Amino acid sequence: MNDNIIEIKNLEKGFENSKIMALNGIDLEIKKGEFVSIIGPSGSGKSTLLNMIGALDKPDKGSIMVAGNNLTQKKDLSNFRSQEIGFIFQLHNLIPNISVQENVEIPMYGTGRSGKEMRERALKLLDYVGLSEKIKRKPTELSGGERQRVAIARALANEPSIILADEPTGSLDSKTGKMILDRLSDLHSKENVTLIMVTHDMSIASLADRTIKVLDGKVQN
Amino acid sequence: MSFFSLIVKNPFRNKTRTALAIVGIAIGIATIVALGIITDGLKASTEETLKAGGSDFIVVEANVSDMFFSKIDEKYVNEITKIDGVDQAAGVLMAMQSVEDNPYFVIIGIDAKNIQFSDMKITKGKVFSSGDAREIIIGKVASEKMNKTVGDTITLSGDKYTITGIFETGDLQQDGGAFMSLANVQKMESKEDKVTMIYVKIDKGADVEKVTAEVDKKYKSELTTVASLEDLASVDQGLSIIDTASWAISLLAIVIGGIGVINTMIMSVYERTREIGVLKAVGWKNRRILGMILGESIVLTLVAGIVGCVMGIVAIQALMLLGMGGFLKPVYNFDVFARGFAVALIVGLIGGFYPAYRASRLPPTEALRYE
Repeated sequence: MNDNIIEIKNLEKGFENSKIMALNGIDLEIKKGEFVSIIGPSGSGKSTLLNMIGALDKPDKGSIMVAGNNLTQKKDLSNFRSQEIGFIFQLHNLIPNISVQENVEIPMYGTGRSGKEMRERALKLLDYVGLSEKIKRKPTELSGGERQRVAIARALANEPSIILADEPTGSLDSKTGKMILDRLSDLHSKENVTLIMVTHDMSIASLADRTIKVLDGKVQN
Repeated sequence: MSFFSLIVKNPFRNKTRTALAIVGIAIGIATIVALGIITDGLKASTEETLKAGGSDFIVVEANVSDMFFSKIDEKYVNEITKIDGVDQAAGVLMAMQSVEDNPYFVIIGIDAKNIQFSDMKITKGKVFSSGDAREIIIGKVASEKMNKTVGDTITLSGDKYTITGIFETGDLQQDGGAFMSLANVQKMESKEDKVTMIYVKIDKGADVEKVTAEVDKKYKSELTTVASLEDLASVDQGLSIIDTASWAISLLAIVIGGIGVINTMIMSVYERTREIGVLKAVGWKNRRILGMILGESIVLTLVAGIVGCVMGIVAIQALMLLGMGGFLKPVYNFDVFARGFAVALIVGLIGGFYPAYRASRLPPTEALRYE
């Protein structure tokens, strides 16, 4: 039985009329529940690959199957992103004028959950990331590490099968960064979530089950 | 938090910019509301004049641009009295003079025996005498404003007139002016044998439409009848000019307000480009993003609508305090405020659509890369 959650074949993506090839024939398989780190220098194509898996961008060529969805054929990918993917960015990208709790509720709009269900789910997740005391605070009133924990809670809002983290500790000091990584590792081991993390840092990459090196838009063996 | 709460909160992130946009749109709405209140006041006042006393309709000069400028021969009063169905007819000559600090003091000339056409109540003294006795009765508002009462005199065109009575009609324009004998006003205005209009009262049981049709048919090129405000609109261009001006300002408010809203919302979308990218990344559909931005735009303009309505009322009250109260009675109709809000809503929809569409079509990766 095929237990791959992600299957990518000969994936190509170019920018500026294919003058710059960000992805140049990527072949990749990731198993369900696996923790994979993607490393590579700046401009190697690792973030583009992450965006392809998260259906934020479409490839020029090749095929990409994620959680049973053929992303090259699907037109409206918003439902897929909402149900299957949780994004964590280097910068938390929280909405500044609403509370921490409301930020966590944002992905749940349009999913059929009632206001009460959304609230309860947000409170549960904020408790999980250790912020139950600060649910009414605005993101601007939190530290960098706390904001990133809110971003983790937001990524988990719709119980995604895959978490995509693009340098989640990139803007944090080492102590806070370790705390965030511990939380992500815990999430992966306890919830069996597939975790794919882009990083520059080899020591962080070594925490993963498997490390994939991307160079010039290709996976290096 | 509901989606609606988010839409209501978002426009107030940048309070200064939002406040300026609201004030800009509100000025347009305030103008629409204030003009509407004035127009409705004038219409109500004119309607009161039309329905004055027992008159069923009035007769004015045909093809005149403003009823006030109508000038017809007095001989028509007798002729109209003879038409089948007409009970009584009374000629009236209107004049406007500058009296003390009121430049629009309205004087109505009517024979003392026909004074009942004006549906007035003499609150003090008595009606002026017939003929050319230099006597006058003034309205309650005029009496208070000029601080004059029975026995005092008023100078009109160099002649002194003794006040014999104070009256009240309930019509602000009339109560701010005066009545005197038709002969005196004709002489004062050098319009001997002329009247502005003829008040006509029909026989009991007679049909107004039939009688007016008869008058219109008989004096097609010289006279026209006015039985309602609708009739008046076709005769008197004054009200229609204000109406047209009001609509033109509405259109201008939509255009200027719309540009203001587009500018504000485009700035807002630019500043939140990354955020919109995140919303797409967490699974928001394009139409939800479109709805959010469009909703924010409508919230902005509806707040401007409320502010504009309040500003319009305040402006009218200020005009009243500045002396317009003597000849303008504001009428606060629901329709005027509904028009103000309709304009606000249109501005919100038109001004918000382009920024909302742009935001909804932003490619998520591009939005997330935005610095």
